[in-house]
Amino acid sequence: MTTIFGVPSAVLFGQLLLGLVNGAFYAMLSLGLAVIFGMMNIVNFAHGAQYMMGAMLAWLLLNFLGVGYWWALILAPMAVGLGGVVLERFLLRRLYGLDHLYGMLLTFGLALMVQGALGNWFGSSGQPYAIPAELTGGRNLGFMFLPNYRAWVLVASLVVCLGTWYVIERTRLGAYLRAATENPVLVQAFGIRVPRMIMLTYGAGVALAALAGALAAPVYQVSPSMGADLLIVVFAVVVIGGMGSIMGSIVTGFLVGLIEGVTKAYYPELSGTVVFVVMAVVLMLRPAGLFGAKLDGAGGHQEATEAPRSSSPRAHIVLALAAIMAVAPLVVYPGFMMKAMIFALFACAFNLIAGYGRLVSFGHAMFLGSAGYVCGHAAKVWALTPELAILTGTATAALLGLVSGWLAIRRSGIYFAMVTLAFAQMIYFVALQAPFTGGENGLQGVPRGMLFGLIDLSKPVNLYVFVTVIFLAGFVLIMRLVDSPFGQVLRAISNHEARAQSLGFETDRYKCLAFTLSAALAGLAGSTKAIVTQIATLTDAHWSMSGEVLLMTFLGGVGTPLGPVIGAFVVVAMQNYLAGVGQWVAVIHGLIFAVCVLAFRRGIVGEVSAWWHHRGSRGSGAVPSTGQAVPGK
Amino acid sequence: MAEAAERIDDPRFVLQTRDLTRQFDGFFALRKVNFRLARDSVHAVIGPNGAGKTTLFNLLTKHLAPSEGAILHDGEDVTRLKMPAMAKRGVVRSFQISAVFAGLTVQENVEVALLRGSGLAWNLLGRISKQSGVAERAAALLRRFGLAEHAETMAGNLSYGRKRVLELATTLALEPKVLLLDEPMAGLGREDIGRVTALIQQARRGRTVLLVEHNMNVVAELADRITVMVRGEIAAEGSYAEVAANPAVITAYTGRAHG
Repeated sequence: MTTIFGVPSAVLFGQLLLGLVNGAFYAMLSLGLAVIFGMMNIVNFAHGAQYMMGAMLAWLLLNFLGVGYWWALILAPMAVGLGGVVLERFLLRRLYGLDHLYGMLLTFGLALMVQGALGNWFGSSGQPYAIPAELTGGRNLGFMFLPNYRAWVLVASLVVCLGTWYVIERTRLGAYLRAATENPVLVQAFGIRVPRMIMLTYGAGVALAALAGALAAPVYQVSPSMGADLLIVVFAVVVIGGMGSIMGSIVTGFLVGLIEGVTKAYYPELSGTVVFVVMAVVLMLRPAGLFGAKLDGAGGHQEATEAPRSSSPRAHIVLALAAIMAVAPLVVYPGFMMKAMIFALFACAFNLIAGYGRLVSFGHAMFLGSAGYVCGHAAKVWALTPELAILTGTATAALLGLVSGWLAIRRSGIYFAMVTLAFAQMIYFVALQAPFTGGENGLQGVPRGMLFGLIDLSKPVNLYVFVTVIFLAGFVLIMRLVDSPFGQVLRAISNHEARAQSLGFETDRYKCLAFTLSAALAGLAGSTKAIVTQIATLTDAHWSMSGEVLLMTFLGGVGTPLGPVIGAFVVVAMQNYLAGVGQWVAVIHGLIFAVCVLAFRRGIVGEVSAWWHHRGSRGSGAVPSTGQAVPGK
Repeated sequence: MAEAAERIDDPRFVLQTRDLTRQFDGFFALRKVNFRLARDSVHAVIGPNGAGKTTLFNLLTKHLAPSEGAILHDGEDVTRLKMPAMAKRGVVRSFQISAVFAGLTVQENVEVALLRGSGLAWNLLGRISKQSGVAERAAALLRRFGLAEHAETMAGNLSYGRKRVLELATTLALEPKVLLLDEPMAGLGREDIGRVTALIQQARRGRTVLLVEHNMNVVAELADRITVMVRGEIAAEGSYAEVAANPAVITAYTGRAHG
């Protein structure tokens, strides 16, 4: 048998073919993302869910209506595309002119709802979808065996991708589309109905995702979660290729698939993470992406009017929090309080970078999760005392924050979100495979131990006081950071980065330090969590945890000191008291996201304080000096 | 060559460019421009739309990178330096669309600039009010610029004219040696133009000022020297009277409603 560098050639070619097939799906999905982004400036976080809906619909059509593969290939994209048109017309359209992040948050919420609801109805296990009779079997090419269906997927996706490229780059319709991207007002003046064109473009991009899903149904298992992890890889593909170019998306998609295939043949352990490694290298060498023309908003700025720095001393807030935490165990289950405080610290850490630095990370779970594992390992295997174990976990998160932040801040806005999400996914894969994490079972039996060798943390009262002290200390530290000269510069940078640079600030350094501090504090929360719950699990490193901390912070009020605390308590209470509804929690989370983005963008604290100011100013007749918090331009 | 090198080191000029060129996809926005900014002068760059004055400005302020050529500051090659490094050398720019930190108060805006100058910006846990006079100096600057009563207002809520004044106050807080102003009068009403012109007159003492400006009355009032750009090249240079009499300039502006 022939071997190539020690790998049998049949295996290598098999993996390359599989890589190409994966690449075909990456290409189709990143193409749809690029088209939607180019037209609407929205990063469609529902793209994975819409891909999944295409596959699910094909499966449902076959199993409930007896409609076969070929019809499903037409009907599923049409139905999902129509859903996309409705979504654009009634929801997404309300967000144009706002910060791009809101579109991302809304589509993320919608994706959570769809995935959660379908997961409830159909369970999370995958369903097989039979290859249509015409495409079963395969042929022997001499050097490898080529299954017919895979050949069909490659041909079909190439035709779809190149067809899309042709329409956009070479036809009159495409010229209108590209012109409307550059200058919608002008194109509107030519008598072209731009809003309708945008609506149909979104529908077409979504239909493309659903078509990929229907094509994928016989290749992968059909399940409600099949789109979520795939989407994160596609985001990495988008960062690698740069979203500016249609052909770039196609080429990068296939290229990444091939790289994965080669890796699977030679070093399978790395195959899940290689795409993220490639992304990191591209960010280092060519931050705009392989085909990207220019960097996003490197010198751009957003006019942001945020809540003013409170001139009143923060001391009374801290005292009030301390009093509440002291009394609460008499009324509420202490376990709930400790969990909520830990998440509140996590959300406050996230708020430091998202609220005051305007760098919305979609990957903060990596700091919570990795710190938990390291702290748990340090306490259990190295037998460190709890304070040293927590310190080790926190330091690990800080280091991870420094490295990932150093790379991620090369991009801003939505790209920053995608890069952090991709890095977090890499850490998740490491946690899944590393020998000391316990894989799916988690790192169990973490001892609580003796604090400073003196105080027994296994006693409930000691543990409660310990967690309260850590939470309050973290809260005070974050408030001090925000009010410090550094915090003031950070807020200035988030307001207008180019102006800050023109005043002589090397803004990347400030952003990197803020990101590292935020990571360290998230790590402090994760380490404390490991000691309190005595377990470190994959859940804490999963992307859904990054979504949860976003939810807590946005629900409570991003950029306000108390917002994340209140948001965390509300979300944790919901999880505790709605535990009976199971998977529906994800649907409720998604719903809250959507409602927050559409109606309450300032969050609980922001809305209440705006109402208070409004009321106060009307009562006294004074001029409201704070104005309205208008995000984005 | 020897002659060129001599010119480059001429200490009378703060900023100089050598064959500065910038292309956009084959289009020369700026072609082999040798521009010199004399120390302690007020120098205006004018020209019809698309003449390359904004490109020249953006190259000098490091907003763009040149395709070819060099930029010298105090005789040193600064072609590859970035914007923050130029600010630290005392070359500070303003923006065409007024650039204030909208979510900070007026006082905080000026403080940010003072923090950079005083090296306190890396203080992570302190409070600004307790530090070496930053707040006091900011307040004094605001008084000088007539913004004292708005100190606690969010900068984003100021009128457009006041935003311009605040931007100038923030820039001057750094005590720059060279001030680069990108259309400082754009979007201002007549009254504000008078105020900002007076502030620039005041600020020019002991400084070099370069401005790109469309308003010819302002240019005539402020500038000692004027460079006229046409189609990416320098068409004429001299005092207002010299430039106004130059046939090349008249040709370039023919049919245009400038003045």
